[in-house]
Amino acid sequence: MKKTLIVAEMALREISRRRGVLILLALLPLAFYFSRRSEAYWQSVRFVSLGIGWTLSTAALFAGNAARGIEPRLRLSGYATHQLYLGRLLALWAIGAALSTPYFLLIRFDLDAVRYSGIALILLLTVVVAAPLGLAVAAVLPRELEGMLVLLTVVAMQMMLNPDKATAHVLPFWFTREIGEYAVTPGAGTDHVLRGLIHAAVTLGIVVAVGASAATVRLRRRRHVSIA
Amino acid sequence: MTVDDWLAALSAELRRRQVDPSGPVGEAAAHLRDSGQSPLSVFGPPAAYALAVVDSLRGATRELRRLPSGEPRLRATKITKRYGRSTVLNGVNLSVHAGEVVAMIGANGCGKSTMLRICAGLTSPDSGHVQMRGTVGFCPQTGGTAEFLTPDEHFMLVGAGRGATRTAARAEGRTAAAALDWPGAAGDAEARHLSGGTRQKLNLVLSQLGDPDVLLLDEPYQGFDNGTYLDFWQQVWHWRDAGKAIVVVTHLLNELDRVDTVLDLTPRSPR
Repeated sequence: MKKTLIVAEMALREISRRRGVLILLALLPLAFYFSRRSEAYWQSVRFVSLGIGWTLSTAALFAGNAARGIEPRLRLSGYATHQLYLGRLLALWAIGAALSTPYFLLIRFDLDAVRYSGIALILLLTVVVAAPLGLAVAAVLPRELEGMLVLLTVVAMQMMLNPDKATAHVLPFWFTREIGEYAVTPGAGTDHVLRGLIHAAVTLGIVVAVGASAATVRLRRRRHVSIA
Repeated sequence: MTVDDWLAALSAELRRRQVDPSGPVGEAAAHLRDSGQSPLSVFGPPAAYALAVVDSLRGATRELRRLPSGEPRLRATKITKRYGRSTVLNGVNLSVHAGEVVAMIGANGCGKSTMLRICAGLTSPDSGHVQMRGTVGFCPQTGGTAEFLTPDEHFMLVGAGRGATRTAARAEGRTAAAALDWPGAAGDAEARHLSGGTRQKLNLVLSQLGDPDVLLLDEPYQGFDNGTYLDFWQQVWHWRDAGKAIVVVTHLLNELDRVDTVLDLTPRSPR
């Protein structure tokens, strides 16, 4: 656990020093929020969570790619792959929590007639899913531009696809619409929350499996080496 | 350059080469005082004269090449690696003992870095195997550092992997940095702000944290100035004397008399 925590600490230090990027990351969801605030406040709630999802997953993409150079050295220095992966994930979750809290407060004081518990749940799940999603994309697409375009496409499709289409349901942030329905529609039942939770849990499982498996393969101990 | 400046520079150059400066500097000072001539006209630049002094003392100061006598630390057997249709390594064998320095040489693209990565277990060969006894420190040719971390943070991060406390790792890193004429390792400059040579010093220091038994160094001196380059070889000899097994990838043939064994990976050359 000690090794995981020091990886998390150093990853947090690295990310927090990208100040320009952090400022942009923090402001982008605000633009998403106000783009629909005046005419369709219920959409602005979902848009802000998608904005956070995109910014955090992009930050995770950059963090994952930046770590590629030093991770082989850290493996040789005694770290296990899961310590490197979990440490980075913990740091990104902490960044995500710091990023999303002001937006929850904004909605809390800006919007009435919404269920704040539902909104808190959407933001929490967005942070939980977006970080490993970015790490999974970084693992599969080691070039940042390609990875960023993929994440942009995913979020744009999530925003624009007709919710009746099955494609929209399999995208990683579909749960924001399900739980968003509960949060902003008066009388909406908790079945939306349940479906959203299941979707988020399945998505989380998939992206963690992809990211962790890719890291395990990339940083594996090669069979041709025997250590006495 | 005044006589005092020249003598001070000579003294520093001799210390850098681990030669006690008192004798040669005293003799040079006496000669200059008696002759009244300029040190540059009599002896030339301090670094060049220091080299001449070291050459004259070589037999008495250091055993330059010796047969391996320690236990085997690294044994790579029949390593073959292909990239597409191109065979880069074809049945290469390498054995490194404790207290031995091996230079891996060869033309560009002949597989030196690949061989080192295979020995470190970072790249898989198509065939062959590697037996390692002890812990490994690896210095890649490029990368191996984190852009936004300071040297101290690197020391703490890598040191923690070896089980060192933050304080111990930081102290060990700073000491190793000082041996490479890098007293600024304690500063708060992030790696991305370090010069190429200084970043390579950081890379080299990280490879030796935790006192590994085997050191695999891939052209670790890139960007070093002449003084640091000499410091580096002093460090290599120090590790050899401490019983480390060291492999240095190099293309600088003038250093081959400073190592115990040479492995030439140039195609069609004897291996």
